[in-house]
Amino acid sequence: MQLALINLNHPAHYFSFGPFAISGGNLAIIIAMCVIFIAALFIPFPHSNNFSQDDKKEDRK
Amino acid sequence: MMKVDPAKKWSGPMRPYDLVKEIVVAIVVIGLLACGLAALFSSPDEKAVTLKSWVTAAPADFAQVATGELAGTTGSAGYGAPYNTAAKGQHFGFIKLQDWAGVRIPINPANSFVVEPLLISNDATAIAAVNTWKAATADQRGKWANAYEGALTKAGDKTTLPDPNNSFGPVPAMIDGLSMMAASGALDGALLTSDSTLPTNFTKPMLFLADSDGYFGALATKQHLGGDQWGVMNETGSWPGQSWLWLFSFWYQIDPFKSSDNADTIIMLIMALLTLALMFLPLLPIIRRIPYKIPVHRLIWRNWYRSPASKQ
Repeated sequence: MQLALINLNHPAHYFSFGPFAISGGNLAIIIAMCVIFIAALFIPFPHSNNFSQDDKKEDRK
Repeated sequence: MMKVDPAKKWSGPMRPYDLVKEIVVAIVVIGLLACGLAALFSSPDEKAVTLKSWVTAAPADFAQVATGELAGTTGSAGYGAPYNTAAKGQHFGFIKLQDWAGVRIPINPANSFVVEPLLISNDATAIAAVNTWKAATADQRGKWANAYEGALTKAGDKTTLPDPNNSFGPVPAMIDGLSMMAASGALDGALLTSDSTLPTNFTKPMLFLADSDGYFGALATKQHLGGDQWGVMNETGSWPGQSWLWLFSFWYQIDPFKSSDNADTIIMLIMALLTLALMFLPLLPIIRRIPYKIPVHRLIWRNWYRSPASKQ
Protein backbone atom coordinates (compact mmCIF):
# COMPACT_ATOMS: atom_id res chain seq x y z
CA MET A 1 0.00 0.00 0.00
CA GLN A 2 1.43 3.34 -1.03
CA LEU A 3 0.61 6.23 1.32
CA ALA A 4 3.30 8.65 0.09
CA LEU A 5 2.31 12.01 -1.33
CA ILE A 6 4.66 11.41 -4.28
CA ASN A 7 4.65 7.88 -5.66
CA LEU A 8 8.13 6.66 -6.66
CA ASN A 9 7.04 3.04 -7.03
CA HIS A 10 7.48 2.94 -10.81
CA PRO A 11 10.44 2.15 -13.12
CA ALA A 12 13.22 4.71 -12.86
CA HIS A 13 14.54 6.82 -15.71
CA TYR A 14 18.24 6.22 -16.40
CA PHE A 15 20.73 8.61 -17.98
CA SER A 16 23.47 6.77 -19.90
CA PHE A 17 26.66 8.05 -21.47
CA GLY A 18 29.36 5.56 -22.45
CA PRO A 19 29.95 3.10 -19.62
CA PHE A 20 28.20 5.45 -17.18
CA ALA A 21 24.55 5.06 -16.25
CA ILE A 22 22.79 6.83 -13.41
CA SER A 23 19.19 6.83 -12.23
CA GLY A 24 17.20 10.06 -12.03
CA GLY A 25 16.91 9.62 -8.23
CA ASN A 26 20.66 9.25 -7.72
CA LEU A 27 21.36 12.19 -10.05
CA ALA A 28 18.92 14.38 -8.11
CA ILE A 29 20.63 13.49 -4.80
CA ILE A 30 24.11 14.18 -6.22
CA ILE A 31 22.99 17.55 -7.65
CA ALA A 32 21.39 18.43 -4.29
CA MET A 33 24.65 17.54 -2.47
CA CYS A 34 26.66 19.75 -4.87
CA VAL A 35 24.22 22.65 -4.37
CA ILE A 36 24.43 22.28 -0.57
CA PHE A 37 28.24 22.14 -0.74
CA ILE A 38 28.44 25.30 -2.89
CA ALA A 39 25.90 27.03 -0.63
CA ALA A 40 27.98 26.06 2.41
CA LEU A 41 31.01 27.66 0.78
CA PHE A 42 29.33 30.97 0.08
CA ILE A 43 26.69 31.43 2.78
CA PRO A 44 28.50 33.23 5.63
CA PHE A 45 28.73 31.74 9.12
CA PRO A 46 26.58 33.60 11.65
CA HIS A 47 28.73 36.34 13.25
CA SER A 48 31.57 35.44 10.88
CA ASN A 49 32.51 39.11 10.44
CA ASN A 50 33.59 39.34 14.06
CA PHE A 51 37.15 38.10 13.56
CA SER A 52 38.81 41.50 13.61
CA GLN A 53 36.49 42.85 16.35
CA ASP A 54 37.10 39.80 18.55
CA ASP A 55 40.83 40.13 18.01
CA LYS A 56 40.73 43.73 19.12
CA LYS A 57 38.81 42.70 22.27
CA GLU A 58 41.40 39.98 22.92
CA ASP A 59 44.17 42.55 22.52
CA ARG A 60 42.58 44.91 25.04
CA LYS A 61 42.53 42.18 27.77
CA MET B 1 55.74 25.01 4.07
CA MET B 2 55.22 26.66 7.50
CA LYS B 3 56.28 24.39 10.38
CA VAL B 4 53.96 24.34 13.39
CA ASP B 5 55.25 23.45 16.82
CA PRO B 6 52.48 21.31 18.38
CA ALA B 7 53.82 22.06 21.89
CA LYS B 8 53.33 25.80 21.46
CA LYS B 9 50.16 27.38 22.92
CA TRP B 10 47.64 28.75 20.40
CA SER B 11 48.14 32.51 20.21
CA GLY B 12 45.44 33.31 17.63
CA PRO B 13 41.89 34.47 18.35
CA MET B 14 39.56 32.27 20.42
CA ARG B 15 35.80 32.35 20.74
CA PRO B 16 33.14 30.36 22.63
CA TYR B 17 31.50 27.51 20.72
CA ASP B 18 28.27 25.82 21.83
CA LEU B 19 28.75 22.22 20.66
CA VAL B 20 25.66 20.90 22.50
CA LYS B 21 23.48 23.55 20.85
CA GLU B 22 24.87 22.59 17.45
CA ILE B 23 24.20 18.86 18.04
CA VAL B 24 20.61 19.57 19.17
CA VAL B 25 19.97 21.79 16.14
CA ALA B 26 21.49 19.14 13.81
CA ILE B 27 19.36 16.32 15.31
CA VAL B 28 16.15 18.39 15.10
CA VAL B 29 16.81 19.50 11.49
CA ILE B 30 17.79 15.99 10.31
CA GLY B 31 14.82 14.48 12.18
CA LEU B 32 12.37 16.91 10.57
CA LEU B 33 13.95 16.29 7.15
CA ALA B 34 13.78 12.49 7.57
CA CYS B 35 10.12 12.55 8.71
CA GLY B 36 9.14 15.08 6.03
CA LEU B 37 10.84 13.18 3.19
CA ALA B 38 9.39 9.85 4.45
CA ALA B 39 5.88 11.36 4.33
CA LEU B 40 6.56 12.83 0.89
CA PHE B 41 8.23 9.87 -0.82
CA SER B 42 7.75 6.81 1.47
CA SER B 43 10.30 4.00 0.96
CA PRO B 44 10.83 1.01 -1.35
CA ASP B 45 8.52 -1.89 -0.53
CA GLU B 46 9.18 -4.43 -3.26
CA LYS B 47 7.25 -7.68 -2.86
CA ALA B 48 9.59 -10.50 -1.78
CA VAL B 49 10.71 -12.93 -4.48
CA THR B 50 10.11 -16.50 -3.30
CA LEU B 51 10.49 -20.00 -4.69
CA LYS B 52 6.69 -20.04 -4.95
CA SER B 53 6.63 -16.85 -7.05
CA TRP B 54 9.48 -18.28 -9.17
CA VAL B 55 7.74 -21.59 -9.99
CA THR B 56 4.44 -19.77 -10.59
CA ALA B 57 5.95 -17.20 -12.98
CA ALA B 58 8.54 -19.39 -14.73
CA PRO B 59 7.87 -23.12 -14.10
CA ALA B 60 10.13 -24.30 -16.95
CA ASP B 61 13.05 -22.23 -15.63
CA PHE B 62 12.47 -23.65 -12.15
CA ALA B 63 12.52 -27.23 -13.51
CA GLN B 64 15.74 -26.60 -15.49
CA VAL B 65 17.55 -25.00 -12.54
CA ALA B 66 16.39 -27.70 -10.10
CA THR B 67 17.65 -30.37 -12.52
CA GLY B 68 20.90 -28.42 -12.82
CA GLU B 69 21.24 -28.62 -9.02
CA LEU B 70 21.02 -32.42 -9.28
CA ALA B 71 23.53 -32.43 -12.17
CA GLY B 72 25.90 -30.11 -10.31
CA THR B 73 26.01 -27.61 -13.18
CA THR B 74 24.59 -24.51 -11.46
CA GLY B 75 26.47 -21.52 -10.13
CA SER B 76 26.11 -22.52 -6.48
CA ALA B 77 27.16 -26.15 -7.24
CA GLY B 78 30.45 -24.92 -8.72
CA TYR B 79 30.97 -21.88 -6.48
CA GLY B 80 33.59 -23.17 -4.06
CA ALA B 81 34.05 -21.64 -0.59
CA PRO B 82 32.21 -20.90 1.62
CA TYR B 83 29.68 -23.48 0.35
CA ASN B 84 31.71 -26.33 -1.13
CA THR B 85 35.08 -27.35 -2.54
CA ALA B 86 33.98 -27.50 -6.18
CA ALA B 87 36.27 -24.59 -7.12
CA LYS B 88 39.30 -22.78 -5.73
CA GLY B 89 37.43 -19.51 -6.06
CA GLN B 90 38.69 -16.00 -6.77
CA HIS B 91 42.34 -15.13 -6.39
CA PHE B 92 44.88 -12.48 -7.28
CA GLY B 93 48.43 -13.77 -7.36
CA PHE B 94 49.11 -15.43 -4.03
CA ILE B 95 46.02 -13.75 -2.48
CA LYS B 96 43.28 -16.40 -2.35
CA LEU B 97 40.72 -14.87 -0.01
CA GLN B 98 37.90 -17.27 -0.91
CA ASP B 99 40.07 -20.35 -0.53
CA TRP B 100 41.62 -19.09 2.72
CA ALA B 101 38.17 -18.48 4.25
CA GLY B 102 37.31 -22.17 3.67
CA VAL B 103 33.97 -23.96 3.63
CA ARG B 104 32.07 -22.38 6.52
CA ILE B 105 28.47 -22.87 5.25
CA PRO B 106 28.56 -26.36 3.72
CA ILE B 107 25.83 -26.72 1.11
CA ASN B 108 25.46 -29.55 -1.37
CA PRO B 109 22.84 -28.08 -3.77
CA ALA B 110 21.52 -31.47 -4.94
CA ASN B 111 20.89 -32.61 -1.37
CA SER B 112 20.03 -29.25 0.21
CA PHE B 113 17.70 -27.90 -2.48
CA VAL B 114 16.12 -31.08 -3.87
CA VAL B 115 16.70 -34.36 -1.98
CA GLU B 116 16.26 -33.22 1.63
CA PRO B 117 13.13 -31.09 1.03
CA LEU B 118 11.47 -33.97 -0.90
CA LEU B 119 12.16 -36.39 1.94
CA ILE B 120 10.09 -34.24 4.33
CA SER B 121 7.23 -33.85 1.83
CA ASN B 122 4.14 -36.09 1.83
CA ASP B 123 4.51 -36.94 -1.87
CA ALA B 124 4.94 -40.75 -1.96
CA THR B 125 5.95 -40.78 -5.66
CA ALA B 126 8.66 -38.17 -5.09
CA ILE B 127 9.94 -39.95 -1.97
CA ALA B 128 10.17 -43.25 -3.89
CA ALA B 129 12.08 -41.43 -6.65
CA VAL B 130 14.46 -39.95 -4.09
CA ASN B 131 15.13 -43.41 -2.67
CA THR B 132 15.96 -44.69 -6.19
CA TRP B 133 18.26 -41.65 -6.62
CA LYS B 134 20.04 -42.29 -3.31
CA ALA B 135 20.54 -45.97 -4.11
CA ALA B 136 22.25 -45.23 -7.45
CA THR B 137 25.95 -44.60 -7.96
CA ALA B 138 27.24 -41.02 -8.36
CA ASP B 139 28.07 -41.78 -11.98
CA GLN B 140 24.55 -43.02 -12.72
CA ARG B 141 22.97 -39.99 -10.97
CA GLY B 142 25.12 -37.68 -13.09
CA LYS B 143 24.03 -39.41 -16.30
CA TRP B 144 20.31 -39.16 -15.38
CA ALA B 145 20.47 -35.53 -14.30
CA ASN B 146 22.63 -34.36 -17.22
CA ALA B 147 20.38 -36.15 -19.73
CA TYR B 148 17.21 -34.60 -18.24
CA GLU B 149 18.77 -31.14 -17.95
CA GLY B 150 19.83 -31.29 -21.61
CA ALA B 151 16.38 -32.46 -22.69
CA LEU B 152 14.57 -29.74 -20.67
CA THR B 153 16.88 -27.03 -22.04
CA LYS B 154 16.24 -28.29 -25.57
CA ALA B 155 12.47 -28.44 -24.97
CA GLY B 156 12.41 -24.77 -23.89
CA ASP B 157 9.21 -24.08 -21.95
CA LYS B 158 8.34 -27.67 -20.93
CA THR B 159 8.22 -28.40 -17.19
CA THR B 160 8.26 -32.19 -17.50
CA LEU B 161 9.16 -34.65 -20.23
CA PRO B 162 8.31 -38.28 -21.01
CA ASP B 163 11.14 -40.81 -20.70
CA PRO B 164 10.55 -43.53 -23.35
CA ASN B 165 14.18 -44.73 -23.22
CA ASN B 166 14.40 -44.65 -19.40
CA SER B 167 17.44 -42.38 -19.60
CA PHE B 168 16.26 -39.87 -16.97
CA GLY B 169 15.77 -42.37 -14.12
CA PRO B 170 13.90 -40.90 -11.11
CA VAL B 171 14.81 -37.31 -11.99
CA PRO B 172 11.50 -36.26 -13.69
CA ALA B 173 9.48 -37.53 -10.70
CA MET B 174 11.79 -35.67 -8.31
CA ILE B 175 11.54 -32.41 -10.26
CA ASP B 176 7.74 -32.73 -10.61
CA GLY B 177 7.49 -33.31 -6.85
CA LEU B 178 9.78 -30.34 -6.10
CA SER B 179 7.78 -28.09 -8.46
CA MET B 180 4.53 -29.01 -6.69
CA MET B 181 6.17 -28.45 -3.32
CA ALA B 182 7.42 -25.03 -4.46
CA ALA B 183 4.02 -24.08 -5.92
CA SER B 184 2.37 -24.78 -2.56
CA GLY B 185 4.91 -22.60 -0.71
CA ALA B 186 6.19 -25.59 1.28
CA LEU B 187 9.64 -25.48 -0.34
CA ASP B 188 10.23 -21.91 0.90
CA GLY B 189 9.46 -23.09 4.42
CA ALA B 190 11.53 -26.27 4.07
CA LEU B 191 14.67 -24.42 2.95
CA LEU B 192 14.26 -21.71 5.57
CA THR B 193 13.83 -24.01 8.52
CA SER B 194 16.04 -26.94 7.50
CA ASP B 195 18.90 -25.81 9.79
CA SER B 196 16.95 -24.02 12.50
CA THR B 197 13.32 -23.74 13.53
CA LEU B 198 13.57 -19.95 13.27
CA PRO B 199 13.01 -18.78 9.67
CA THR B 200 15.80 -16.20 9.70
CA ASN B 201 18.49 -17.81 7.53
CA PHE B 202 17.74 -17.13 3.86
CA THR B 203 21.02 -18.56 2.52
CA LYS B 204 19.54 -21.66 0.87
CA PRO B 205 16.51 -20.10 -0.88
CA MET B 206 18.69 -17.16 -1.96
CA LEU B 207 21.35 -19.44 -3.44
CA PHE B 208 18.74 -21.55 -5.20
CA LEU B 209 17.04 -18.43 -6.63
CA ALA B 210 20.37 -16.90 -7.65
CA ASP B 211 21.06 -19.93 -9.83
CA SER B 212 18.18 -18.81 -12.04
CA ASP B 213 19.35 -16.42 -14.73
CA GLY B 214 16.07 -16.79 -16.56
CA TYR B 215 13.82 -15.54 -13.73
CA PHE B 216 15.83 -14.02 -10.88
CA GLY B 217 18.53 -12.58 -13.13
CA ALA B 218 15.89 -11.09 -15.43
CA LEU B 219 14.10 -9.47 -12.47
CA ALA B 220 17.37 -7.85 -11.36
CA THR B 221 18.20 -6.67 -14.90
CA LYS B 222 14.72 -5.15 -15.29
CA GLN B 223 15.27 -3.07 -12.14
CA HIS B 224 18.83 -2.06 -13.19
CA LEU B 225 20.26 -4.03 -10.27
CA GLY B 226 22.73 -6.12 -12.32
CA GLY B 227 26.42 -5.86 -11.52
CA ASP B 228 27.12 -4.54 -15.01
CA GLN B 229 24.37 -1.89 -14.66
CA TRP B 230 25.87 0.00 -11.69
CA GLY B 231 23.36 -2.13 -9.79
CA VAL B 232 24.94 -1.75 -6.36
CA MET B 233 24.18 1.99 -6.57
CA ASN B 234 20.55 1.55 -7.58
CA GLU B 235 17.30 0.96 -5.76
CA THR B 236 14.02 -0.61 -6.83
CA GLY B 237 11.42 1.75 -8.29
CA SER B 238 12.47 5.38 -8.76
CA TRP B 239 13.96 5.89 -5.31
CA PRO B 240 17.57 7.04 -5.09
CA GLY B 241 20.02 4.29 -4.16
CA GLN B 242 23.48 4.07 -2.63
CA SER B 243 25.23 6.62 -4.84
CA TRP B 244 28.22 6.74 -2.46
CA LEU B 245 29.17 3.25 -3.74
CA TRP B 246 29.89 4.68 -7.20
CA LEU B 247 33.61 3.97 -7.04
CA PHE B 248 33.10 0.30 -6.06
CA SER B 249 30.56 -0.03 -8.86
CA PHE B 250 32.67 1.86 -11.41
CA TRP B 251 35.35 -0.87 -11.69
CA TYR B 252 32.74 -3.50 -12.58
CA GLN B 253 31.74 -1.47 -15.66
CA ILE B 254 35.13 -1.42 -17.38
CA ASP B 255 37.61 -3.93 -18.69
CA PRO B 256 39.64 -5.81 -17.62
CA PHE B 257 37.60 -6.06 -14.41
CA LYS B 258 34.13 -6.68 -15.84
CA SER B 259 35.31 -9.72 -17.80
CA SER B 260 37.54 -11.08 -15.04
CA ASP B 261 36.61 -14.16 -13.01
CA ASN B 262 38.50 -12.59 -10.11
CA ALA B 263 36.84 -9.15 -10.30
CA ASP B 264 35.60 -9.11 -6.68
CA THR B 265 39.05 -9.83 -5.24
CA ILE B 266 40.86 -7.39 -7.54
CA ILE B 267 38.35 -4.58 -6.93
CA MET B 268 38.46 -5.15 -3.16
CA LEU B 269 42.25 -4.82 -3.31
CA ILE B 270 42.04 -1.62 -5.42
CA MET B 271 39.56 -0.10 -2.98
CA ALA B 272 41.73 -1.10 -0.01
CA LEU B 273 44.67 0.61 -1.70
CA LEU B 274 42.65 3.76 -2.39
CA THR B 275 41.37 3.78 1.21
CA LEU B 276 44.96 3.59 2.46
CA ALA B 277 45.84 6.46 0.11
CA LEU B 278 42.99 8.51 1.61
CA MET B 279 44.18 7.70 5.15
CA PHE B 280 47.73 8.76 4.38
CA LEU B 281 46.80 11.74 2.19
CA PRO B 282 48.92 14.22 4.20
CA LEU B 283 52.00 12.08 3.54
CA LEU B 284 51.57 11.70 -0.22
CA PRO B 285 53.73 14.03 -2.31
CA ILE B 286 51.93 16.15 -4.96
CA ILE B 287 48.51 15.16 -3.54
CA ARG B 288 49.23 16.92 -0.24
CA ARG B 289 50.02 20.14 -2.14
CA ILE B 290 46.50 20.30 -3.66
CA PRO B 291 45.11 22.64 -0.92
CA TYR B 292 47.88 25.11 -1.77
CA LYS B 293 46.90 25.03 -5.46
CA ILE B 294 43.12 24.85 -4.87
CA PRO B 295 42.61 26.66 -1.53
CA VAL B 296 38.95 25.85 -0.87
CA HIS B 297 39.63 26.26 2.87
CA ARG B 298 40.53 29.90 2.24
CA LEU B 299 37.10 30.40 0.69
CA ILE B 300 35.39 28.85 3.73
CA TRP B 301 37.44 30.89 6.20
CA ARG B 302 37.67 33.96 3.94
CA ASN B 303 36.84 36.44 6.72
CA TRP B 304 39.70 35.12 8.82
CA TYR B 305 42.15 35.20 5.93
CA ARG B 306 41.07 38.80 5.17
CA SER B 307 41.57 39.91 8.79
CA PRO B 308 44.83 41.57 9.82
CA ALA B 309 45.29 38.90 12.55
CA SER B 310 45.77 36.17 9.95
CA LYS B 311 48.72 37.97 8.45
CA GLN B 312 50.64 38.21 11.72
